[in-house]
Amino acid sequence: MQIRLRPGITLRVGTFSAVIAPEHVITAALNENPELERFLFLFVCGNYSRLISHIGRTASSFEVRRPFTADQLLTVIREAAHTIIFIEHDPSLFETAERLLEPVGSALKEAGREALVVLYAPSMDRPFAALARQADRLIEIVNTGEPDPRQRMAAVRSGHRADGRPQAQTTLEVQ
Amino acid sequence: MWVLDTVYRDGVDLWCRDASGTVTRKHYAYDPPFYLHLADPSAHHEMLDVLEAEFKAEPCSFFTLFGELDGFSVHGNRQLAEQIEQQTRFDARLFNVDVRRDQQFMAEQGIFPCGDDPGSRFSADFSCSLRRMEICIRDDPARTPLCTEVEVTGDCTETLHGPGHTVVADLFGLVESIDPEVILMSHADTWLPKFRAFSVEKGLTMPFSRNGKYRQMSSRSYWSYGRMEHKEAALIPDGRVLIDTDESFVYREGGLAGVLMASRLSGLSPNMAARFTPGTLISSYEVYEAVKRGIVVPFRKADAETARKLADLRAADRGGMMFQPKPGIYENVNELDFTSMYPSIIVRYNLSPETLENPSAKGFLPAVLAPVVSLRRETKERKRTEPRYAGIDTLLKWMLVTCFGYTGYKNAKFGRIEVHEAITARSRDILIQTKDLAESMGFVVLHGIVDCLWVQGSPVEVLQQRIGDVTGLRAENEHFDWIVFLPLNDGFGAYNRYYGRLSDGSMKVRGIAARRHDAPDIIRSMQQEMLEVMCTAKDTGELARVRDKVRKIYLAALQRLPLADPRTLAISRRISRTRYTHRCLEGAAVQAYRDDGVEVAPGMKIRYIVRDARRYQVDPEWRAKTFDVPYYRSLMEKAWNDIAYAFGGRVMRPG
Repeated sequence: MQIRLRPGITLRVGTFSAVIAPEHVITAALNENPELERFLFLFVCGNYSRLISHIGRTASSFEVRRPFTADQLLTVIREAAHTIIFIEHDPSLFETAERLLEPVGSALKEAGREALVVLYAPSMDRPFAALARQADRLIEIVNTGEPDPRQRMAAVRSGHRADGRPQAQTTLEVQ
Repeated sequence: MWVLDTVYRDGVDLWCRDASGTVTRKHYAYDPPFYLHLADPSAHHEMLDVLEAEFKAEPCSFFTLFGELDGFSVHGNRQLAEQIEQQTRFDARLFNVDVRRDQQFMAEQGIFPCGDDPGSRFSADFSCSLRRMEICIRDDPARTPLCTEVEVTGDCTETLHGPGHTVVADLFGLVESIDPEVILMSHADTWLPKFRAFSVEKGLTMPFSRNGKYRQMSSRSYWSYGRMEHKEAALIPDGRVLIDTDESFVYREGGLAGVLMASRLSGLSPNMAARFTPGTLISSYEVYEAVKRGIVVPFRKADAETARKLADLRAADRGGMMFQPKPGIYENVNELDFTSMYPSIIVRYNLSPETLENPSAKGFLPAVLAPVVSLRRETKERKRTEPRYAGIDTLLKWMLVTCFGYTGYKNAKFGRIEVHEAITARSRDILIQTKDLAESMGFVVLHGIVDCLWVQGSPVEVLQQRIGDVTGLRAENEHFDWIVFLPLNDGFGAYNRYYGRLSDGSMKVRGIAARRHDAPDIIRSMQQEMLEVMCTAKDTGELARVRDKVRKIYLAALQRLPLADPRTLAISRRISRTRYTHRCLEGAAVQAYRDDGVEVAPGMKIRYIVRDARRYQVDPEWRAKTFDVPYYRSLMEKAWNDIAYAFGGRVMRPG
């Protein structure tokens, strides 16, 4: 069982991987991999998930748990008996619970002995770096290709290109 | 024993007031244990040996919300509890670690502050006749080191005016001679540290505390209901109640009666009750009730929601129900409002963390909320004829509002997200059920928000009765002679912006400048003046006839604008951050405060006047001399447009 993020980048059972990638890369990896439906999948996210509304998985093997404190996250990881454990990183859980960074990192590592464990964030932050220290692999996918469709729409609305540069004028202004 | 203040310092100090008004301190030795549960005690036998030898650890069993657990009682502090967590790699479950010991003592003894009859805790009839002193300081505490102009009201009113050191020394003298039980003081929490520094420097005794001791609360910024709030650090005197009349939410909303009621329910000293948010008060109330019932309070919130299918989660996590109104003017409208809907649902449907798996068990939350809900019903009824109950009613309203949100709060000791979702799910069902019922009886449903429904039709009393029968919840009715639902920019109806004339002749206003705290005074008062005129109109026909009179108010305000006192144009904002990446008026105001040497923190309120909106130039309220007339004219125009809509929109009559 494996998740293919990009050609040549796959995640396998028995590993704990920390992944930094654009959201659309991750949602595509989760949505466009029918093989994942065959395995018990636990999606873990906080109160303000950026991914969950874009996930189209309806299989009964796909479960969600939302910890709202770092203590709850630790409980969720320790109780997980799924083949795939995907954690959408929520730095706010550790704002007043830095004491739990090391135990949570260890619990992820421990869970990664049996399962495919992914800790995901769209960008690096301090708690993520601390948790990722115990990961088997740290994978960073940089957005160089086609932009996220949502980003593209936002760019169109703001009059900028998806890469942030202003759009060239395409019509003449009529006075 | 009428307890005025409580402190934990090597035991519990209760400051008790006798019938003659004399306040004395009673000290009780008290060192309660905390509780420890380990899934596998044998794996930690060395640690347990040390705890037994050095911290009087003993095997015992105790009751959590979910049943009985075997474990150990340990006499130690929070630091020890945290060491146990580390030592056990966070396997240990700990209880009663962070319960306030004075509160725990009172709950165990069955006593509570601000009352002496054990059976009267849930009564709205209690004495507030405390010796009080009001201190109104005119100076701005953010910009002046010591106050120079103070009005003191005790038995009589005295004004102190002069150099700071003289005024403060005189103020100390007055506090000492009047010896009040309650001091109501503007910006007390900002002034007291300054007074203390002054008294140390001059070798004076600061007389606010009865024994010279003060408790310290540190300052903090925090998110509450989607906005950043800031709480100043506070020095809290022993044996006397000191309320910061500007910063205390509970005092502002509920007055002294509200503070005392909060103290009675939560088991916290009035000094603390005045400084806490309603959310902290309801959680403290739950803690007091848990201790009283012999239930231990978890130290960490470790029990996460259960695993769910994505579709189930999406179906459950949807919040309250809304019916969008069609913008317009409506005649003869009834607003049906469910009293304390969410807490009533908790009670009626027995919703509590432990009843999710075991619905037949009597839930903790319903049991502890039931008396508060019935007390609120009583005060809501009584305040109509006896205004002295209004403060208590408002306090109860806020506590009950937050008790629902608290079930989903991440750190709630007795909360769980599934309970939160179950409550909103019931509320959605109830609102839909009520709408269907109203429509089946020939009513037209105009608008609905979570626990309120606006309907046209009759007889409304029969509908109310039927709603009560069908839902089991009580719906109150307010009748509008006319009501205006305002449009959003896209033309659809706004959920929360409306105003109308109630049948008692008063106006009910929501979401427009007249009610908004951030609106400049000049605009707020212009709109209030307009609404006062509109209030004389009993129907839409009469409303149309006051149009010219109302428009004249607008035109006169526009004309007076260039000559207005800049202070009346101050815009209030509660800042959510102190660094801004984009140019904006709020960011410019924060910088202007800093330029004047005033430190700002997230959650603080600032007031500024816009000098040049296009260049993002603003002045703090105290510095403003000129202002951007076109900018304020545009604000005035917006306020007028909200009012003018009542004269231009389509009138919808029943039937």
